[in-house]
Amino acid sequence: MSNPKHDKGEHYLTTPKAEPFLERMIFNNRAIILVAFFLLTLFLGYNATKIQPDASFERMIPLQHPYIVNMLENRDDLQNLGNFVRIAVEVEEGDIFTKEYMETLKQITDEVFYLNGVDRSGLQTLWTSNVRWVEVTEQGFQGGTVIPDTYDGSDASLEQLRQNVLRSNEVGRLVADNFKSTIVYAPLYEKNPETGEPLDYGEFSRQLEEKIREKYEAENPNVEIHIVGFAKKVGDLIEGIGSIAWFAGITIILTTLLLFWYSRSITGTLVPVFTSIIAVFLQLGTLRLLGYGLDPYSVLVPFLVFAIGISHGVQIVNAIAVEAAKGFDAVTAARLAFRALYIPGMLALISDAFGFLTLIFIEIDVIRDLAVAAGIGVAFVIITNLVLHVLIMSYIGISKGGIRHVQNHGEKQDRKWRVMSYFAHPGVAPISLLIAVIGLGLGLYYKQNLKVGDLDRGAPELRADSRYNTDNAFIIDNYSTSADVLVVMVETPVEQCTQYEVLRAMDALQWELENTPGVQSSASLADVSKIVTKALNEGNWKWYEISRNQTIINASIRSAPSGLINTDCSLTPVLVFLEDHKAETLQTVVDRVEAFAVNNNSEDHTFLLAAGNAGVEAATNEVISSAKDMMLLMVYGVVSLLCLITFRSVRAVLCIVVPLGLTSILCEAIMAVSGIGIKVATLPVIALGVGIGVDYGIYIYSKLEKYLLEGKTLQEAYFETLRSTGKAVMFTGVTLGLGVVTWIFSPIKFQADMGFLLFFMFLWNMVGAIWLLPALARFLLRPDQMLAKARAAK
Amino acid sequence: MAKRLMCKTLGAVCLGLSMVWSAPAAFALADVIETPARPTDLAPERLLNDVTKAGDRIVAVGERGHIIYSDDEGQSWTQSDVPVSVTLTGVDFGSDTQGWAVGHSGVILHSEDAGETWKLQLTGVQALEIAIQTKEDQAAAMEERIEAAPEAEKGDLEWALDDILFTMENMQSDLDIGPVNPLLDVWFENDNHGFVVGAYGMILRTTDGGESWQDWAPRIDNATNFHLNGVTQITGGALVVVGESGQIHVSVDGGQTWERRESPYEGSLFGVIGTGQVNEILAFGLRGNMLFSSDLGKTWRVVPSTADATLNDGTVVDDGRIILVGNGGVVLTSSNGAESFREYFRSDREGVMSVVPVSGTGLLIVGEGGATITDARGKNLQ
Repeated sequence: MSNPKHDKGEHYLTTPKAEPFLERMIFNNRAIILVAFFLLTLFLGYNATKIQPDASFERMIPLQHPYIVNMLENRDDLQNLGNFVRIAVEVEEGDIFTKEYMETLKQITDEVFYLNGVDRSGLQTLWTSNVRWVEVTEQGFQGGTVIPDTYDGSDASLEQLRQNVLRSNEVGRLVADNFKSTIVYAPLYEKNPETGEPLDYGEFSRQLEEKIREKYEAENPNVEIHIVGFAKKVGDLIEGIGSIAWFAGITIILTTLLLFWYSRSITGTLVPVFTSIIAVFLQLGTLRLLGYGLDPYSVLVPFLVFAIGISHGVQIVNAIAVEAAKGFDAVTAARLAFRALYIPGMLALISDAFGFLTLIFIEIDVIRDLAVAAGIGVAFVIITNLVLHVLIMSYIGISKGGIRHVQNHGEKQDRKWRVMSYFAHPGVAPISLLIAVIGLGLGLYYKQNLKVGDLDRGAPELRADSRYNTDNAFIIDNYSTSADVLVVMVETPVEQCTQYEVLRAMDALQWELENTPGVQSSASLADVSKIVTKALNEGNWKWYEISRNQTIINASIRSAPSGLINTDCSLTPVLVFLEDHKAETLQTVVDRVEAFAVNNNSEDHTFLLAAGNAGVEAATNEVISSAKDMMLLMVYGVVSLLCLITFRSVRAVLCIVVPLGLTSILCEAIMAVSGIGIKVATLPVIALGVGIGVDYGIYIYSKLEKYLLEGKTLQEAYFETLRSTGKAVMFTGVTLGLGVVTWIFSPIKFQADMGFLLFFMFLWNMVGAIWLLPALARFLLRPDQMLAKARAAK
Repeated sequence: MAKRLMCKTLGAVCLGLSMVWSAPAAFALADVIETPARPTDLAPERLLNDVTKAGDRIVAVGERGHIIYSDDEGQSWTQSDVPVSVTLTGVDFGSDTQGWAVGHSGVILHSEDAGETWKLQLTGVQALEIAIQTKEDQAAAMEERIEAAPEAEKGDLEWALDDILFTMENMQSDLDIGPVNPLLDVWFENDNHGFVVGAYGMILRTTDGGESWQDWAPRIDNATNFHLNGVTQITGGALVVVGESGQIHVSVDGGQTWERRESPYEGSLFGVIGTGQVNEILAFGLRGNMLFSSDLGKTWRVVPSTADATLNDGTVVDDGRIILVGNGGVVLTSSNGAESFREYFRSDREGVMSVVPVSGTGLLIVGEGGATITDARGKNLQ
């Protein structure tokens, strides 16, 4: 912006005939710039096609949060706790004690055993030898595998099996309470112990579908297979990213049709679509070069980039058509369009980019990636839209039909614009403001119920009626288990993790938590010790207690599950099973744990939060709640500042930003009413909504100011504004809305939530700019003062 | 640092702790025998080990120092004030208001208000100290005997002295850890006279309502210190104690002297009841073994049973039926004076630890899953 004329105090809007430096530079080197674009697109486009889906768990969690730091520090010791799949094999008619069922179960057991990634020694089903029944006898213990050695599928051996199951303690764990299904429990290796390669979740999940679910449901029509586990969930998410390709196609087609309807010009349609797609390729290619993949969040960014590209392209097409209609040739029309739009266009796009970049302050990598991806995308839109788009148009020009459309259209629509210009009328404006205040009140009222975190049962990333979540519900209903686990890690000096004091303290914490609302049950080494001490005392429940005698404790935990003690016995977890993962539930529980830790941590034992899915969610919720206000402040701050720099008036800033604020509040109210919490997925929506939503205000206000400075009355100036840019602004809102609306059909729940909310924000910000901005202008702007100031500057 | 801070803030507790015994290291948390049972709605749903009647009131004890009572035959429960949070194992009332409960860490609790509030009368530390005192007395007596004995007998007597000293050392090292051993059952005749029995042959008697306790182990023929699991009075007034390794001890003089009976079963016996007929004893235990005697244990008959689940406790209903309960949800009923039993397995298969009759023909059972009202067979009422 080193325009010398600006420095002399001339307002860019009052000197439209000026030929800025940028314009000269671009239009004097048209061919070179086009060739450069071609080469850049070729290079980055090639890279864009190589970009890989990436649903890394770590990127979705706040790595700096103390809970997560604790979790990752102890990750090797806790590994076996979290990563497993459970495959419930359900029989539809009859119960599990049939020859056919047991045969199918056997085959599935074998199949799972050979799946790549399964920790075979930990595999448990009725058919594995580690699933046993035990009985106390006068001589000690007596036991055997649940499936009798003599099993031959006969009624007698099935009856024996039934007996063994009943005395095995597996009912509710491996066998459903109603004996209509059993579980194949398969712990997984995060890294292949032989090759060291990380587990490919997508591939593993596909194998579960093909080799287990499809195969055995087809083979034995009497069984139905339900699969849950982190690996399956991630697999389904990766699968879900794939469906995005369809949305992309549909979005492009819809946008193209709409654009043609708007411009009635083939070139005016295809060029913006083409340049916007180029922007997407440039963005994706750059991401790849920077080492990013596409996760379920950042996969949405290309849609935004495309929509932003189109919506700003529309402004260009509109301006060129208007100029061409005045009789200018293609190059001149393009030049004039550039001159009129490069400041508001750049401002709008820069505020988009900065709006996104405020997301960087949230310490969750996917959100940061999203910010980076969107920021890069918008940066590219600035050059594809303001440079590439304009230059291409300068060569091919806009078709006659397009020009005619603009000419006819302008006159025909005048009456409509005339009516709408009454939004700036002194009689109408107060009513508008009153409505806005009522809307604000309602918004604030409903927004009180806005919750942090995920509110639905099951895996929140996926839809409630998704296969995964129905499977999950099946397992929760039929087995004594909860999908929401908070893990408290208890650190002790080396070899001290089984000391009486440690077990006693864990037991005390567990009892505290079991008496906390929202906690279903809990488990730790203390329970193992109590139950085995009981068992060692001939199964007598009167011995159900942690012994003070360390020798007895040691004997009692000799065969404790490996996940409950790390190798040097310095860490042991307390597993807390929760009724749900609502933010309040998590908060209550972590508060209790923290209070307990403060009161009871000593050199013997330190209680650390937190691992488990509920631990991660608690940490995420905390980060999001504390980041939310900061982010809002930043995004509004940045947008306001940019507007202030451009328009040099606080009143102008208010006119533009107040409607955005109203939309933000209404958006939160809608979230509260429709049960969408503030979470990793919805937090960026506000930043995106505000960052992009401000564009409308900028385009409208810049025109409005221009006409006011020409000496027109407010209503008259607004009429002219609408005439020249109203259609483009409305169209922009619709295009942006279209860009995200297809996400609503995504199998991934948070994408659907984002789509829904962004759709609302984009459209409503547009309404706010057209309806509320002029009403605010009526109260806030002082046209005479503005004129006087402009004259004085001259 | 943290420890000192804790001791400052919980000064009284730490002080109390060091008064009970000198702990090897200060705990951040108060000891379980210093921690009152937490008031909780969960108490009636969690492990309960014993249940008894105090007049019309039903009182049950269980894990984490839970004592609950019901004045409507188990429909609703109130949790008592209990100063400890150890697993409690037995409860008995000498009268409608005076009751005693026992449990881990060797605790004996006493209530004077029909079970509403409880006070700690004795801990395992004191129990051990009493037992050590006995051993010291025995050792002193033995030393005197050795002194006086002819040379030929001295060798044997010195062996015996070594045994006593060895046992005493064991007790001393237990004491260094703390109150390690649990009491397992309690019986009171009236407001003054009662017995408690427990792990490793522990048996104590009081004649002053628990103000003081005497070590009764020397009067029991249990040289190997096997667990004593149950104590009761049978119809006719005799006292019976059963325990590990098929032990059956009978006293016909109100507990002054005890005689060990020949047992046809070598496994653990967990409980013993009278049948309502004079001098009849029904003892039971591991894997569903039941022993019946009609002559104060001089002769025994093994009661046939197909249910091989461990039996924990029993009761006799007004109409004379005998009910036994045990692990795996087993409920046995005999209408012919323990001649034979009809078995029923409860559908939840959870262990049942104790049972009392309630009005009509119903039962109130307690165990792994808390307290439950059932029909005469042990099946849940809807």
